[in-house]
Amino acid sequence: MKRDLPRGDDAAAAARLAAIRAGDRGAVARAITAVENGHADAAALLAALEGDLGRAHVVGITGPPGAGKSTLIAALVGECTRRGRRVAVVAVDPSSPLSGGAVLGDRIRMSEVAAAEGVFVRSVASRGHAGGLASATRGIVDLMDAAGFDPVIVETVGAGQSEVAIAALADTSVVVTPPGLGDDVQAIKAGILEIADVLVVSKGDSPLASATVRDLKDMLRLRARRGAWTVPVVLTAATRGEGVAELLDVAARHAEACGRGRRLAGAVQPPGPHDAAARVATLARQDAFLRHCALELLDAGPGRATLAMTVGAEHLNFNGTCHGGAIFALADSAFGLASNSHGPVAAGIEAHVSYHAAARPGDRLVARAEEVSRNARLATYRIDVTRGDVRVASFGGTVYIAARRHAPREAATPAAGARVPGPSS
Amino acid sequence: MSLRPKVLVTKIGLDGHDRGSRIVAAHLRDAGMEVVYTPPWQEIAAVVKLAQEEDVDVIGISSLATDHLIVPRLMHALRDAGLAEVGVIVGGIVPDEDERALLDAGVARVFHPGSSLDDIAAFVRDLAARVRSARFPA
Repeated sequence: MKRDLPRGDDAAAAARLAAIRAGDRGAVARAITAVENGHADAAALLAALEGDLGRAHVVGITGPPGAGKSTLIAALVGECTRRGRRVAVVAVDPSSPLSGGAVLGDRIRMSEVAAAEGVFVRSVASRGHAGGLASATRGIVDLMDAAGFDPVIVETVGAGQSEVAIAALADTSVVVTPPGLGDDVQAIKAGILEIADVLVVSKGDSPLASATVRDLKDMLRLRARRGAWTVPVVLTAATRGEGVAELLDVAARHAEACGRGRRLAGAVQPPGPHDAAARVATLARQDAFLRHCALELLDAGPGRATLAMTVGAEHLNFNGTCHGGAIFALADSAFGLASNSHGPVAAGIEAHVSYHAAARPGDRLVARAEEVSRNARLATYRIDVTRGDVRVASFGGTVYIAARRHAPREAATPAAGARVPGPSS
Repeated sequence: MSLRPKVLVTKIGLDGHDRGSRIVAAHLRDAGMEVVYTPPWQEIAAVVKLAQEEDVDVIGISSLATDHLIVPRLMHALRDAGLAEVGVIVGGIVPDEDERALLDAGVARVFHPGSSLDDIAAFVRDLAARVRSARFPA
């Protein structure tokens, strides 16, 4: 582990670290900017603070737009302040897909509580894709943890993929549902039930709220319990302060039951690169569909895999260009190998693709899968499909990580497997 | 590293006319900037704390009813908090005889009614770039 800060003044670097650890507002804020913008020293800074992590209880708050997340967080922050806690908030708002700009308005509902001395609020623009959001946000959360804030509350933009990515950052994931969504509750329940440790029905002063609580409890009953923790449903009316203290207590109980710093478990890098490369090579050899499609494994490592295919006559659609399904199959296969590279069995639960350019007979398509985020239960991946310098498609996917590992026989393929087979093998 | 200016658009004092600040905030967003927006009636201490936490490059103060007169106090408070390098602009209704006082207090520029939104965005972008390079020397 590299712990030295690159060049520059050692004393200044040490002073900077000490200021962050002491919770100095300006020092923390500037370090966040460095992480957010990918400054050269950001990675070394985070590495140097690794030993300071895991003290904060990180609570992720997510839910559809208009669910009342900001209002609820303002109430939670107020409650934390009353309890004498130093609390930090990371509020993520969407960037404009057109200009890249953003109006960060989450503070609008927090102006009263944010002025308190023990409160630190930072607004973050999602900057396009879920991956950038997740990686920068993880660093920001780490900085707030190292600075001694507890809890650290992360508010997300309320859209499918990011919800899941952010859930991977939190010790406790709270999903906020406004009352009366009716069929929408049905539509989102699968995703919500997978990631929620605590469910909140907001706007509890609405007449529909108690029916929504009942619906959610019914859905939870149909679901297999995960370990000893039963997902509670909390009714809140944040503008009146109702249910807020209860929510904070429930979240604390979850942290006790499931472990504070749980978010860090996924960050541990267990196997070396050779183990992962060997495992991927073995899995690729055992994959009948990979063989059927003549997909070639070019490279692999922990959380990554690169596959290639050459577009042939059998891949063409009625327009004479490569069928989207073939490109999807290539990207999805890289996704599958990358997500299974660590050892535990990973099963895809969601994937999406955007096609940017056509591919024609003879084109060699390369799909590179990279891990965006990973915790004990969920991981997200980004796959770029390219033809030379041209980006043909972008693919994103999420896996659920099972408790079981790939059979030892497969994982422990010896030395030969340490070398990734080239296109010819 | 690409520069994406981070700007705080806010109002201090007792004036609640926020249409102008909303329009400017939306335009800066459309010009590719990240804009932290607050409701009106912010206290100076709260603005300073917010500017520090959000690590903004530029603060835009909208003033339509004499709130610009407390901007020099904001400048003082920013300096006291070690934020002297943050750029501050004022937009709205500022009588000519007050403009000099604001500029003397360290305000980078005053935009009067009728200013072009594109001019404001261009000025903020330049100001942010200067502030950013002063704070994060390459």
